[in-house]
Amino acid sequence: MTSKERISKAMQLGIPDRVPLMCQLSIGHYFQNSKLDPMDIWFESEGFAEALIELQQRYNFDGVLINLPGRPPDYKNYIKKIERSENETKVIWKNDCYTVIPSDDNPHFYQPDGSRRFPMFEEIDPEKLFYIEPWDITEIKYPYKWFFETEPRNFNDFFPSYHQNIIRAVKQIAGDKISIHSEIFSPWSQFLELLNYENALMAIMDDPGKVKAILERLTEGAIALAKLQASEKVDAILISSAFAGAGLISREHYIEFVLPYERKIIAEVKKEFDIPVYTHTCGSIGDRLDLMLETSTNGIDTLDPPPLGTVELEEAKKILTGKAFIKGNIDPVNTLLLGSSDQIKRDVEWRINVGKEKGGYILSSACSVAPKTPPQNIELLSQLVETFGMY
Amino acid sequence: MNIAIEELLQKLAISVIDGKHLEAVELTKQLLALNHTPKEILDNGLLAGMNVVGQRFRDNIIFVPQVLISARAMKFSLAILEPLLADSNIPAIGTVIMGTVKGDIHDIGKNIVSMMLRGNGFKVVDIGIDASHEKFIDAVKKENAQIVGMSALLTTTMLYMKAVIEKLKGEKLPVKIMIGGAPVSKAFADQIGADAYGKNASEAVRLAREFVDQENNN
Repeated sequence: MTSKERISKAMQLGIPDRVPLMCQLSIGHYFQNSKLDPMDIWFESEGFAEALIELQQRYNFDGVLINLPGRPPDYKNYIKKIERSENETKVIWKNDCYTVIPSDDNPHFYQPDGSRRFPMFEEIDPEKLFYIEPWDITEIKYPYKWFFETEPRNFNDFFPSYHQNIIRAVKQIAGDKISIHSEIFSPWSQFLELLNYENALMAIMDDPGKVKAILERLTEGAIALAKLQASEKVDAILISSAFAGAGLISREHYIEFVLPYERKIIAEVKKEFDIPVYTHTCGSIGDRLDLMLETSTNGIDTLDPPPLGTVELEEAKKILTGKAFIKGNIDPVNTLLLGSSDQIKRDVEWRINVGKEKGGYILSSACSVAPKTPPQNIELLSQLVETFGMY
Repeated sequence: MNIAIEELLQKLAISVIDGKHLEAVELTKQLLALNHTPKEILDNGLLAGMNVVGQRFRDNIIFVPQVLISARAMKFSLAILEPLLADSNIPAIGTVIMGTVKGDIHDIGKNIVSMMLRGNGFKVVDIGIDASHEKFIDAVKKENAQIVGMSALLTTTMLYMKAVIEKLKGEKLPVKIMIGGAPVSKAFADQIGADAYGKNASEAVRLAREFVDQENNN
């Protein structure tokens, strides 16, 4: 089987030749371990595509997740100067805002005075929303404008033509052998990013009706983006819904503010495309796997085990087998970042044995591989999956 | 205490529990107008309410959104009481320096712990996000704090907690150090020499109380 066929089989809940391997790497991990400069990875569509494939090959992953949008090809025209120091690069834009690119973490965009700006809940008109891209080069604006564009775009032509450039570049480099997944942000994640977390969480208590109107709009944008990505013939679409676990919200709030919107996205994409859509939710989701299934998701990513989360793999297998594929469950902090090679071997062998039973399992770190995870720890995974993951 | 005042205090506690900040402000004003002392309004109204919030949060009856609006209600009322409390020189249970460590700009965890500590009678000095070890040390010295609380959401920044602990110990400051955040664990706390790990905000309050009790018993 090719890598692409292997992952496809697992996503269809079948039994491939061996357990597939595919981890999501943090942006900082690319910065630390790719031969490319962080500036090129962050600002260049082709740069990120190259870094994705470079580390996919190094770690023998069966697939990649494209978790950044394509970048405007003319971004350099907006730069005033670049200051480099040992641990970070600072890009100062012509409007005096600046971006700090640490050597080991996600870049952030700041106002000239060093602040970050978020709109107030009261000023939001749901009708002016469509999609919020947290990984745009500049800050999140309201009404939403891409990069340094001065006017909001028409919703019928909302996503810039360069938005899909990374998908195209990855397909060009990798061909048709590996599984290529793209990412959209769930309406709930977009909402939390738009207002900053605290204000968004208070808003659901203060004015749930308005929050739902906002989520409806953001769902439309997420559907439009997912369809664009599916048109580029990606092999699966990931709904990134990081903040929907019990660390932040109850099951009741999940039912009210997360479930119906993710269900709608999945249903709308499936109407037009025969493509798996799966869900990434961090932390404590052991109490809501049943609700996640109600979205009709094809699979669940992460499944953080204790102490990071609350998912025991045996329990998750009982609930999800035959209904949704599982991707994840290796503790990215206590095992992959801080664990010894013996600990990694024990932990991963155990997970492969539990996960592979009846198929539908992709070996992966639960949440993203941390920036400073030693590469040899990730390299171990392909040896382990070859040894213990054969069917 | 007369029945009318007792009822108002109870209503104030309920307004905090329900996160009704405008109602909490109104009730605080009414109680002051009846010449009730700020200290009793704080103890029997606001803190009584936050105590229930803490218990419900610990038991997973309520979640972060409810805690946030309760803390907002307390904050609004406290803004009225604080100048009066300052005049009466009432000591806090203890002083805690709270910060998200250098390189990390996430503040929700730190803010929730800060709110819960305040809601339990602690003085909290929030030194914000992206806080260097110098900032922690300066704040401990300036405030004569007994406790330091450090938060990190990132696996990159959690490692900086160790540097802060080493520097605090190097300065021989008599503070207890507790840490928390998504990637952090008890094992990590032990490994870097922290005094305690708080899994959530309720746990952080319990730990802070224990630290203060230990100090009082010594």
